[in-house]
Amino acid sequence: MWAYIVRRILATIPVMAVVALFVFSLLYIAPGDPAAVIAGDQASPEDVERIRASLGLDRPYLVRFGEWVWRILHGDLGTSIFTNLPVATMIAQRIEPTLSLMTVTILFAVSVAVPLGVVAAWKQGTIIDRLVMAFAVLGFSVPVFVVGYLLAYSFALELDWLPVQGYTPFSHGFWPWLENLILPALALGTVYIALIARITRASMLEVLNQDYIRTARAKGAGQGSILFLHALKNAAVPIATVVGIGIALLIGGAVVTESVFAIPGLGRLTVDAILRRDYPVIQGVVLLFSFVYVLVNLAIDLLYTLFDPRIRY
Amino acid sequence: MKRRDVLSLAGAAGAAALLPAPAISQGAAARTLRFVPQANLANFDPIWGTQFVVRNASMLVWDTLYGIDNTFTPRRQMVESEEVSDDGLTWTFRLRSGLRWHDGEPVLARDCVASLERWMVRDGMGQMIRALRQELTAIDDRTFRLRLSAPYPKLLLALGKNNTPIAFMMPERIARTDPFQQITEYIGSGPMRFNRSEWVPGARATFSRFEQYVPRDEPPNWLSGGKRMLVDRVEWVIQPDAATAAAALQSGEVDWWETPLNDLIPVLRRNRSIRIDIADPLGNVGCLRFNHLHPPFNDVRARQAVAWVVNQADFMRAVVGNDDSLWRPMYSYFTPETPNYTEAGAEILKNPRDPATARRLLQEAGYSGQPVTMLVAQDLAPLSAMGQVANALLRSIGMNVDFVATDWGTVGARRASREPRERGGWNIIFTWFAGADCTNPASYLGLRAHGDQAWFGWPNDPAIEAGRDKWFAARNAAEERAACEEISRAAMISQPFTPTGFYRAYQAWRTNVSGIVPGPLPWFWGVSKT
Repeated sequence: MWAYIVRRILATIPVMAVVALFVFSLLYIAPGDPAAVIAGDQASPEDVERIRASLGLDRPYLVRFGEWVWRILHGDLGTSIFTNLPVATMIAQRIEPTLSLMTVTILFAVSVAVPLGVVAAWKQGTIIDRLVMAFAVLGFSVPVFVVGYLLAYSFALELDWLPVQGYTPFSHGFWPWLENLILPALALGTVYIALIARITRASMLEVLNQDYIRTARAKGAGQGSILFLHALKNAAVPIATVVGIGIALLIGGAVVTESVFAIPGLGRLTVDAILRRDYPVIQGVVLLFSFVYVLVNLAIDLLYTLFDPRIRY
Repeated sequence: MKRRDVLSLAGAAGAAALLPAPAISQGAAARTLRFVPQANLANFDPIWGTQFVVRNASMLVWDTLYGIDNTFTPRRQMVESEEVSDDGLTWTFRLRSGLRWHDGEPVLARDCVASLERWMVRDGMGQMIRALRQELTAIDDRTFRLRLSAPYPKLLLALGKNNTPIAFMMPERIARTDPFQQITEYIGSGPMRFNRSEWVPGARATFSRFEQYVPRDEPPNWLSGGKRMLVDRVEWVIQPDAATAAAALQSGEVDWWETPLNDLIPVLRRNRSIRIDIADPLGNVGCLRFNHLHPPFNDVRARQAVAWVVNQADFMRAVVGNDDSLWRPMYSYFTPETPNYTEAGAEILKNPRDPATARRLLQEAGYSGQPVTMLVAQDLAPLSAMGQVANALLRSIGMNVDFVATDWGTVGARRASREPRERGGWNIIFTWFAGADCTNPASYLGLRAHGDQAWFGWPNDPAIEAGRDKWFAARNAAEERAACEEISRAAMISQPFTPTGFYRAYQAWRTNVSGIVPGPLPWFWGVSKT
């Protein structure tokens, strides 16, 4: 097991190297010039060239890539072209809101979706099942920003229960932190509830038809025990997979949600950096995201061994 | 310690964690103004970064030697007095006493000399002064002298103008930074300090009142007069989404929104706690810019052909929507309702639209269906709207439009290319100029026509440049106006760009905020909150 974990962690290195190469190359060939944006409208071509040189953008591809990799290997993600702040500092400023949003969203989605999926499977073919599936279709179909606006209008503007926008750090208290996250997590969580509920239902239906479930019933096990102890544990592997995928997808979903609710997270940092062609920030954030992707996949693989002891690495 | 004590302590700690942090008192809340700016404050060096949002924030932190009032007259600000020699070549400036930087050090003449040196490299008028400068030196702690090789009548306007980059004063050690490198210290002598530790680019920037600031005695008037802050703290809350900003204003989470989306104005109007008014009476000038280097628009007849069919109403309704009070036709290159507005030679824009003449001019220019590359930034609503209208318009007179829908970052880079369209160049771009920049030729980039040195598109028209020179040499308003009429007549013929109309925008604020004065940028002095 430990050897497997070490192997997987070591395997992240070539993955990250490929990601780094792709990110750098894509940005190199992408149109747009931060020097022109910085120089402003009054600048002469010579001014733009001077800024480009000061940023090191006039050097050959391989030289720039080599320098960038060298810095990364030394733990230096570089400095933002526009803010003049270290990229690591900018990421540190933004990571808490994004992590908070992702954590609350996943907790909320799993705690709602799994019971919904279980109940839908249990009541297969009934009105409850259809209602759950109808919600799942709706959750998939309605864009996150539409749900976000509807929630903000209802619960913030009309009812005045929750704030419209912003983020309060956890250090300012649990409730102030949570009240800013409830609506974004609801909005972002809708699609994941739909996804996880559908997978849970399908997986449960497969398990509920197994012989050992019939045996459990014959032994007189209660419905709750059958559903949540016998069936759910055996149906958990696909659910864990989809939750893992969901965490990865949340990174993309957070971009929209953070914009709609004005949460200063990594998603907005990424979009702002792309629009301005702030290369060091884009490169740093994408590297971080890809690292998180790899780690989430590893965590999910390890979780399989908890749910199914037959799986061994 | 017993198990029960541990449990009760843990319980108390848990309960404490659930409690909110101490709420900000009502008085303190009233002393904090929460403002939604037009864009993200991504950097904070007003000489290095020339975006309007940087200028507007800088206005709180850095002060100027002079500042224009609402008649565009430069008034003394940091300067107590000035003397000019009879030949107009030597200017001696004396600073007000008691001026201090935010780090407590006194403002010295040598700080101003270094600040002017840095500004002159990056600013258009500054570059003109730099070319004439014989000497710029500090005489004593409060006095400095500028000696020129030729008179420059617009010197005080240059030092007090609102066009970016503004001649902000900084401590010498900061002002010595290469003008093409960002400063790393944000120390000014303006009415507010910048709270660097609270700055989260893309999210917020905050400013605290500078207690040692000494405002002038005169009432505030745009960039001039006493800049008295009536709040202790200003918070800039960056809102990437207009609907969220509108909701935040309605719920009272923010107090003042600089650029509300026109589509949301009816919603905001229905809220009795919100006031709406024009943000900037000087508005914006829409611009359809030609590339003068390559066919077909290297031929004046092709540019005139487009001008003959531009219907400003179409452009402006696409930009501002159905609110006709927000726009007006602009048969001129100068901002409407300002002293230099002139329609001299403007028949090409005023007369009934004439597609037949346009087609004839295109034919005379030798145009025969070659692709015309139009770069249209889709992420800036006014530019996207103007692009759509122009696309239909040019097609209607038989032009083969290569419509490139892209983002502003790409347009910003590609517009600098002087190559032909097939090698990555362009034929038409869109932009808008702040009306404040179009009141005279001083900082009017779009109206420069000195070929290779001109703004993107590189028009070359000596007649426009001659008119501009006359404006700089003008010694009174009548001479200035005559020069602008000369420029107008020349520009209407050569069409360095075609104006697509004049439009204004709203700003919105909560009724518990007072003292907001419309202008080319948001003035925070004199604004209070209850």
